[in-house]
Amino acid sequence: MAITIDRIADEMFEMVKEAQEVGKKLKPMDLQKTIKNKYDDVDKPMTKKAIKQLVDSGRLVYSYFGGTFLELPHREGAAND
Amino acid sequence: MAETKPRITDIGPPDYRQFLPPVIEKNYGQWKYHEILEPGVMVHVAERGDKVYTVRVASPRLLSLDTIRFYADVADRYCGGHLRFTSRHNVEFMTTDADNVPEIRKEVEERGHLVGGIGNSITSMVHTQGWVHCHSAATDASGIVKAVMDDLAEHFTAMDLPAKCRIALACCLNMCGAVHCSDIAILGIHRKPPRIEHDKLDKICEIPLVSSSCPTAAIRPTTVNGTKSVDVIEEDCMFCANCFTVCPALPIADAEADGVSIWVGGKVSNARTQPRFSKLAIPYITNNPPRWPEVTSAVKNIVDVWRQDARKFERIGDWIERIGWPRFFKKTGIEFGKEHIDDYTHAGLSFQRTAQITHVDWD
Amino acid sequence: MPKEYKTPQLDELEKGPWPSFVKEIKLAAKNNEMANDVLGQLEQSYDERLGHWKHGGIVGVMGYGGGVIGRYSDLPDKYPAVSHFHTLRVNHPSGWFYTSDALRKVCDIWEKHGSGLTNMHGSTGDIVLLGTRTEKLEPVFQELAEAGFDLGGSGSDVRTPSCCVGKARCEWACYDTMKACYDITMRYQDELHRPAFPYKWKFKFAGCPNDCVASIARADCSLIGTWRDDLRIDQDEVAAYADGGLDIFNDVVLQCPAKCMRYDAEKKTLEVDNESCRRCMHCINVMPKALRPGTDTGAVFLLGSKAPILEGALLSSVMVPFVNLDDEEEFEDFCDLVDEMIDVWCEEGKARERVGEFIQRVGMGNFLEAIGLEPMPEMVAYPRDNPYIFYEMEEEEELEEA
Repeated sequence: MAITIDRIADEMFEMVKEAQEVGKKLKPMDLQKTIKNKYDDVDKPMTKKAIKQLVDSGRLVYSYFGGTFLELPHREGAAND
Repeated sequence: MAETKPRITDIGPPDYRQFLPPVIEKNYGQWKYHEILEPGVMVHVAERGDKVYTVRVASPRLLSLDTIRFYADVADRYCGGHLRFTSRHNVEFMTTDADNVPEIRKEVEERGHLVGGIGNSITSMVHTQGWVHCHSAATDASGIVKAVMDDLAEHFTAMDLPAKCRIALACCLNMCGAVHCSDIAILGIHRKPPRIEHDKLDKICEIPLVSSSCPTAAIRPTTVNGTKSVDVIEEDCMFCANCFTVCPALPIADAEADGVSIWVGGKVSNARTQPRFSKLAIPYITNNPPRWPEVTSAVKNIVDVWRQDARKFERIGDWIERIGWPRFFKKTGIEFGKEHIDDYTHAGLSFQRTAQITHVDWD
Repeated sequence: MPKEYKTPQLDELEKGPWPSFVKEIKLAAKNNEMANDVLGQLEQSYDERLGHWKHGGIVGVMGYGGGVIGRYSDLPDKYPAVSHFHTLRVNHPSGWFYTSDALRKVCDIWEKHGSGLTNMHGSTGDIVLLGTRTEKLEPVFQELAEAGFDLGGSGSDVRTPSCCVGKARCEWACYDTMKACYDITMRYQDELHRPAFPYKWKFKFAGCPNDCVASIARADCSLIGTWRDDLRIDQDEVAAYADGGLDIFNDVVLQCPAKCMRYDAEKKTLEVDNESCRRCMHCINVMPKALRPGTDTGAVFLLGSKAPILEGALLSSVMVPFVNLDDEEEFEDFCDLVDEMIDVWCEEGKARERVGEFIQRVGMGNFLEAIGLEPMPEMVAYPRDNPYIFYEMEEEEELEEA
């Protein structure tokens, strides 16, 4: 059975979550490369769709520290109340 | 439950075609020539004879809504409700009726906005945010720009220079204003290595990313009081602040050490000579708000020496190319020192590798 | 009643002939607490010679990774109205043309939700709406969308493309810069809003070699207008310039970098060796009524310029000497080539590595091979002057065997 966008999104989410637990930030490109290398039948547009799904639903958010990363939503260090 | 409207995304910018004045829509791609009628005013003539007059007006770039609405009102009164901005933050009012030109001029000048910036003049400075909005600024932007342009306004409203002169300011090396190809560039610089907030660093930054961000490999992982952090080999730091961009726990701004440097001779136009980078003229001037008198006088000095010494059409870089850097430093009275000699990658390309020398009497 | 700040330092910047940004902040501060607290905090920055903003990395509108710059005051107790002070970059229309109505709509939205302070425009070209709170970002975004505006780029994405006035009001435009800019912006909406690159990627479209948008210095992808055929000359107008007192020999002929012009002072005619002409624009700039670019027009496609961070500043360099962007097919080919470049850079580029730096690291020859572009002499100022050429003998041998 061909891999679905939902499943790619779930896998990407887990990757970000695991990385975040050990204090590591992942870039969108890191996720896309890992998934593409893992599955022969996944192309770049599919990985982009999966990321869009993750950020549109709010499961992941973009962050910027000299470059763009994907993270689980959290209160940021610099925020004031 | 109230029905929620679907979110609108990815519509892109408005289609420019809906904003074009009728005379421009009609003659799009069919302009024949233009003439500068007076400082800040030009006319474009189309193949079929239609004319559009443009009045170019200086703006402070940082604008209140009152001022934008004022521009909109002027556009309604004289320009059929159309206007445009330029790549250097000027406002342009376009009208098909020459009689409107003095009216537009009167209105904007009454509000304290100068008309000019066309032809061989100094137009508005491209600049960054500085202390008004930036977290990594080594100096303010708007304040220096205001002070510098107050001194040079006479060259905005007149066309009394050998060539165009483009001045720009960036408040740190990130150069959001990409000032590195300007006739005169004012660049905010740090001069002290970052301070390391060991208690916060591991919590908000990723240590391998921080150490790899350093172009001279001066940042190494370490442990301080049992907490993971980094240390900085201070003598290898060149104050680029790239580490601070990647990690906010490495603040680098310092009231005493920060300031500005001044660079000269760059250009982007291909006319006559090729595009080129600006080169270092003054390595450091301390921040002296509110009016940075040392900066304004340094810029004015360079402009004045160039203005009197250059031949027609010579941009600052062209002029220096002809007279040679030794004479540039002599004529401007700017001190030359170790900082002027490059020591980064490919530095050797900037050494004088010829016996063709213009001899200057340094005594 | 908002606090009234004493601003002796900033007051000094209300003096003098140049229009004052302090006056603008004060105008906005009359009925906006955020603008008022900006005034207070800025005065303190002037006293201390230090900025007081913190970078917020995670602030944005849902689904987008670009368009919002997060800012917080580091003195929130003292200046509570700017405890959040996030900026929105709003994608400007090509050529920065507006109707008064469109501008007023943006003003009304920003009056309701923000500081009332703006930049017209930011360095990259966006309308910059300076300062609002996190919870206001979504309403501003959606009200702007209803007014026909979308957010611009920030972060590791396609940054808001910009262009010169082009064919709208310039006789020198060698291609339709405003259309190319708009079409590219629409084509790369996803890449503009959802950052997925190693670092930023900028497009700038300049209609002629005068490069009024500083494309060659400030864009990764620089499209600079040029022409392939002969310069158009109106000899009657040449004579008119001579009669009008222009010193054609000294001001035009001697200034030509290609030394490709001859002037006959008796006949008052100008002759051009078009094969040698470098399309620099000088003669056209001086005699716009007599000289014009040719009619076989298009653009030079150059790649890779950037400011110094991190490996040093670069100017863009030639990839394709001529591409007619007004031609639909050639425009498509150009986009395909850009996609190819972006793909290679995304695959192999390091974090915060602009495409120009990437090419420096992997070598231009290898980059050309990867994107499938043939090397051409137009790409270099001169061929290499060092003998360290990389040959892949094994590959050659394999090829021979095959």
